[in-house]
Amino acid sequence: MVDIIKTVITRVLFLDFIKGLLVTLKYTLSRSITLKYPDHETWIPYERFRGEHKLHRNEDGRELCVACELCVAACPTDCITVVPMEDETGRRGINDRVAKVWEVNLVRCLYCGYCEDACPTTAVRLSRGFELACTDLDGTIREREALLTESPIPEHYEGGVVVKAKYIRKLIQIKPELWKQKDWWPAKPGRSKKR
Amino acid sequence: MPSIDTLIVVGVMLLKVLIIGGALFCAPLPLTWIERKLAGRIQQRLGPHRVGPFGLLQPLADMIKMFVKEDIVPAKADSFLFKLAPILAMAPIFAIFVVVPFGPDITIPFIDYKVSLYITDMNVGIIFVLAISGLAVYGLIFGGWASNSKYAMLGGMRSTAQMISYEVAMSFAAVGVVMMSGSLSLVDIVTSQSGGFLNWNILYLPVGPLWFVIFLIAGLAEMNRIPFDMPEDEGSLAAGYHVEYSAMRFAFLSLAEYVAMVSIAVLLVVFFLGGWDNPLGSLIPILDYVPPVFWFMGKVGAFIYFFMWLRFTIPRYRYDQLMTIGWKIMIPLSLANILATGMIKIYADYRITDVLEMVGLKLW
Ligand code: SF4
Ligand code: SF4
Repeated sequence: MVDIIKTVITRVLFLDFIKGLLVTLKYTLSRSITLKYPDHETWIPYERFRGEHKLHRNEDGRELCVACELCVAACPTDCITVVPMEDETGRRGINDRVAKVWEVNLVRCLYCGYCEDACPTTAVRLSRGFELACTDLDGTIREREALLTESPIPEHYEGGVVVKAKYIRKLIQIKPELWKQKDWWPAKPGRSKKR
Repeated sequence: MPSIDTLIVVGVMLLKVLIIGGALFCAPLPLTWIERKLAGRIQQRLGPHRVGPFGLLQPLADMIKMFVKEDIVPAKADSFLFKLAPILAMAPIFAIFVVVPFGPDITIPFIDYKVSLYITDMNVGIIFVLAISGLAVYGLIFGGWASNSKYAMLGGMRSTAQMISYEVAMSFAAVGVVMMSGSLSLVDIVTSQSGGFLNWNILYLPVGPLWFVIFLIAGLAEMNRIPFDMPEDEGSLAAGYHVEYSAMRFAFLSLAEYVAMVSIAVLLVVFFLGGWDNPLGSLIPILDYVPPVFWFMGKVGAFIYFFMWLRFTIPRYRYDQLMTIGWKIMIPLSLANILATGMIKIYADYRITDVLEMVGLKLW
């Protein structure tokens, strides 16, 4: 009996409709989750994100890679090719070796990060770059020169934010303050921001 | 040679027709933008934002697209009816605005010429509105029939059945309004509700709110909007009666739909929300300086927003549910309500303000 009365009241006063309308009203007032990618806004992935490879240099500008080929051995898909050679000073020994060829096939790569773990000099790092689309299969193979372009060390900047696309264009010059344009998911108390 | 006064009257009349017609022709442009933006907000998207600031020029871009597209008439279609249908769908809905009062008479300063903000004050305004709006269904039927397509045909048939069912309830609701306000003229209906929101027909207790709900639901069905957009049910009919239309003819059909939405909002405001009446009466003196047209537009805008909001909130009814609501609920309810309204009119014709005055409360 109570149920029937309840149903009648709900029907007569359109309570279900009002409930539904309130839900959509709540969404109307909430923030849009669409990004104006790629020309206005870009998403900076989280620190744990593993994207395109980058080779790094030390402070003096010398390549960190010593062509030890450990990454080649570690790679489960055999997508890295490293051919070692001496550097132009003519000296030999592990410190003087550099790679003549260092290329990675980004199509075969499964972004496991084993190469990064295996590398004794932290030369190869998986950056957070994810814009790998290309019109030609050749574009999926990254040569040493392309990999050596200057890029920030992944854990030196924060992720999980949306930034203005015009900043991301000059990724290297970014000052960390600028990354905090819009914090995407508000920080939970438990989640550490810094590694 | 007619006298100069006659010429002025005719000129002013033509001017009013042009302004209202032009405004209605242009209304869908901002309305589509608002609707798409609102859809975006509700679905946590952005809506159009590429063309112009905030995507404001998107409707213009769409219009250009509509203009330059090829106008296809299906080979097996009845081409005369096919071409006639968009006009038939559009014209009656425009004609409704002939009797709609947008505000009280205004006097143009300096030349002291009185202009009324309606084209005519027909003494059978409500009947005219009902008769004319009923004609709009011909556009849909002809469009569906002449397209020579199963989907369009089914859409047209559905709209016929739906319009016929809900026209009855809508007319009864109009009868209720006539009873409450005591006049068939739209101007008189508005003036009978003047003096604050307590005097509005929607608060003519206990029957006013019921009439409002009946008219609102019937109106939603009349203008083929969700939850009653059976004639263009995308899920089962592709696009219903306008599935074969393209380019400008399609634009005219959707124009007709938007103007129908505006017309239902306008009728709701005129019938139940006191038209141009200031909601707070003269309770707050400063509100007296707000032009009455503003109140009218504001109320209409609120209703249009509500219709759009509703569209992205609730799903559409099944066809048999639609018919059940129409015949088994709305019509008996409105018949009973006519009886109740008549009784109240005879034995206790009080608005809330009258009751308040009786107990010694005078608000304004
Ligand atoms: S991320 Fe994994 S698969 Fe890709 S190159 Fe490094 S080791 Fe190979
Ligand atoms: S990237 Fe690291 S692991 Fe690979 S060859 Fe160079 S130094 Fe060795």
